[in-house]
Amino acid sequence: MSSETAAVSQAVVMGPLFWIATAIFILAYALIISEKIHKTIIGMFGAAVMIVLGIVSQEDAFNSLDLGIDWNVIFLLVSMMIIINIMKPTGVFEYIAIKSAKIAKGRPFMIMAIFSVVTATVSAFLDNVTTVLLIAPVTLLICQALELDVVPFLITEAIASNIGGTATLIGDPPNIMIASKAQLDFMAFIYHLTPVIILVLIAYVITIKFIFGKKLQVRDELKQRIMAMNENEAIKDPVLLKKSLVVLSVTIIGFILHGFLHMEPATIALFGAGLLLLVSGNKEPHHIFAEAEWTTLFFFMGLFIIIGGVVKVGLIKWMSVQVLNITQGNLFATSMVVMWFSAFASAFIDNIPYVATMNPLIIDMAKQLWPNLSGTELLHHPDLMPIWWSLSLGACLGGNGTAIGASANVIVVGMAEKMGKPISFKKFMLYGMPLMIESVIICTLYVWLRYYVIKI
Amino acid sequence: MKAKDIMIPLKEYLKPNNTLKEAVTLFKAARRGKEKIGVKGLPVLDKKRMPVGVLTIRDILRAVFPSYMSLMNLGDFTWDGMVEDIAKKIRNKKVSDIMTRKVIIVHEDAPLMECIDHMLKNDIRRLPVTKKDGKVAGMLYEKDIFFAITKAMVKKNSGGKK
Repeated sequence: MSSETAAVSQAVVMGPLFWIATAIFILAYALIISEKIHKTIIGMFGAAVMIVLGIVSQEDAFNSLDLGIDWNVIFLLVSMMIIINIMKPTGVFEYIAIKSAKIAKGRPFMIMAIFSVVTATVSAFLDNVTTVLLIAPVTLLICQALELDVVPFLITEAIASNIGGTATLIGDPPNIMIASKAQLDFMAFIYHLTPVIILVLIAYVITIKFIFGKKLQVRDELKQRIMAMNENEAIKDPVLLKKSLVVLSVTIIGFILHGFLHMEPATIALFGAGLLLLVSGNKEPHHIFAEAEWTTLFFFMGLFIIIGGVVKVGLIKWMSVQVLNITQGNLFATSMVVMWFSAFASAFIDNIPYVATMNPLIIDMAKQLWPNLSGTELLHHPDLMPIWWSLSLGACLGGNGTAIGASANVIVVGMAEKMGKPISFKKFMLYGMPLMIESVIICTLYVWLRYYVIKI
Repeated sequence: MKAKDIMIPLKEYLKPNNTLKEAVTLFKAARRGKEKIGVKGLPVLDKKRMPVGVLTIRDILRAVFPSYMSLMNLGDFTWDGMVEDIAKKIRNKKVSDIMTRKVIIVHEDAPLMECIDHMLKNDIRRLPVTKKDGKVAGMLYEKDIFFAITKAMVKKNSGGKK
C-alpha cells in the first residue's frame, strides 16, 4: 500500500503552477474563514485568477464537471429557491407553524419538540436557511405570546434544521454536491442516511427534554393567546397554494424516481420550478428571481473553479495520498477519520468549501485504491460507499458545533441579536457542541454496525 | 419664498439620551407660537445644537413593531395588549437607539421647491432648517408648505400669467 501511494505522490508534479494554484487556494480559504471580505467576492475573484493564470481554461471552468462549475448543484439550488419563493406568499409556512403550536396546546416544551421535528422534516426538503427563516419568525411571536426566552427555541431549531437537512439529497448543499460528484440518487440517500437521521432526531428530542424540559413553564392564561389564534387566517392564496402543493408533490415524486428515469435531480427541480412558474400565472416573475440567493449561487460557482484549479495541478491528489498514508489504506479507519474530521472542520468552517474539496479528494483516493475501475463502478465501489455517507454525516451534522458552523446558526444568532437577546459564541457552543458530538457518536455506531458488521 | 419664511422657529427639541417616555411627553407638549398643538416629530440635537437625528411617531411605531413581524405575514396572530406590553418595555430606551440618523436638512435660504424635493424623495414630512453655522434654526413642516401652495392657488393674479 505505502509503496503504491508513494509512487502516486511522485506522480504529482510540484512545479510553479502547482504552487501558484495552492497559494490561491489557501489564500482564498483563509480569507473566507477570516470573514474580512465577503465569501462570494473571494470566490469570484479567486476563480477569475485561476482562469487568468491559465491554471484552468475557461472551457474547463465553465463546462467540465471535474474541473469547473457543477451545474447540477447550481440548477438544483436555484430551482428549489424559485419554488419556495412562489410558495412563501401563500401563507402555508405560517399555517404549519401556528398549527404546530396549537397541537402542542401552547405547552412550551411540546412546542419546542414539535417545532424541532417540523423544522427537521421541512429542512429535509428545503434548504436549511430557508427553513429557519420560515420557522423562526413564528417562533419569536409564540415566545412573545408565552413570555418565554426565545434563545433556547432558536438554538434548538437551528440544530434541528441541520439534522433534518442531512436526511435527503436535497436537504443540505453538501449532500447535493456529494450526490452530483458521486452520482448517487435520491433514494440512495433515503436508504442510507434517513434511518440514522431519524435515530439522531429521536435522541436529540430526548436530550433537549432533559436540558430544557423542566425550565419551560407558562401560565395557563398565556397559553390561551396561542389557542385563540386561527391558523386558517394564514392562508392568503388558497388557489396558488393548491397549485404549489401539486407541483411540489410532482417534484418530490420526480426526485424519488429520478434514478429510475435516468434524470439528474437538477432536471427534476428545473422541471418543478418551470412548471410552478407557468401554472402560478405570475405575469411579473422578476421579484421571484430577484429573491433567489445569487450571492450564494455565485459563491458556489467561484468555489468550483478554485477547486478545479487545485484538482488540475494535483494538490487534491497529493492530499488524498496523505489521508491514505494516515489510515494505512484501512477503509473503516478512513471513513471514521472522514466523519470525525469533517464534523470538527465543519463546526468551524463553512461545510460548502470543505465538501467541495473533499469530493475530488475521495475520488482521487478511490482511483488509487482501485486503479482499474472507472465511472460508477469506481464511485459506487461497496468499500467506498460508507466513506461518502461518513462525509455527508460529518459535514452536515458538524455544523451544529458552533454558532458559525452552519448558515442556519448564523441566521438565528442574527435574529436573536435583533431581538435584544444576543447569543454568544460560547453559549451556542455550550449546547451545540455536546449535541453535535452525541449525533456523530450515533452515526459512528450506525456506520460501523451497518457497513462493517452487518454489511447491508 | 424660502425655507426660513415659513419654518417654525426652534423651540422644543430632543437630546440623544432622552428616554422615549420623555420624548413622547415632549411631542404632546410642543407649541406653535403660544398655542400647545403637539407634533409628530422633533429634531434630535447634540450639546452644540447640531442635528444628529430626527425622531418621529413613525420611529416609535417601528420601535414597538417586532422585527420578526416584517419577515412573515403574522398580523393575524397577534393579541390584545401586545402593543401596550411592548410599549411599557421600551419606554426607557434612549432616543438615540431608535431615531432616524440620516438627517435631511435644508439651509434657511433654500427655495421651497428644494424642500418639496427632499420631502417627496425621502418620504419625510418635516425638515430641520439650519443656519450657516450648521445649527438648527427651525423646523419646516409639510403642512406649512401646503399652506403656501394653497395661498398661491387661491390668491388672484399672484405669479404666473393667464
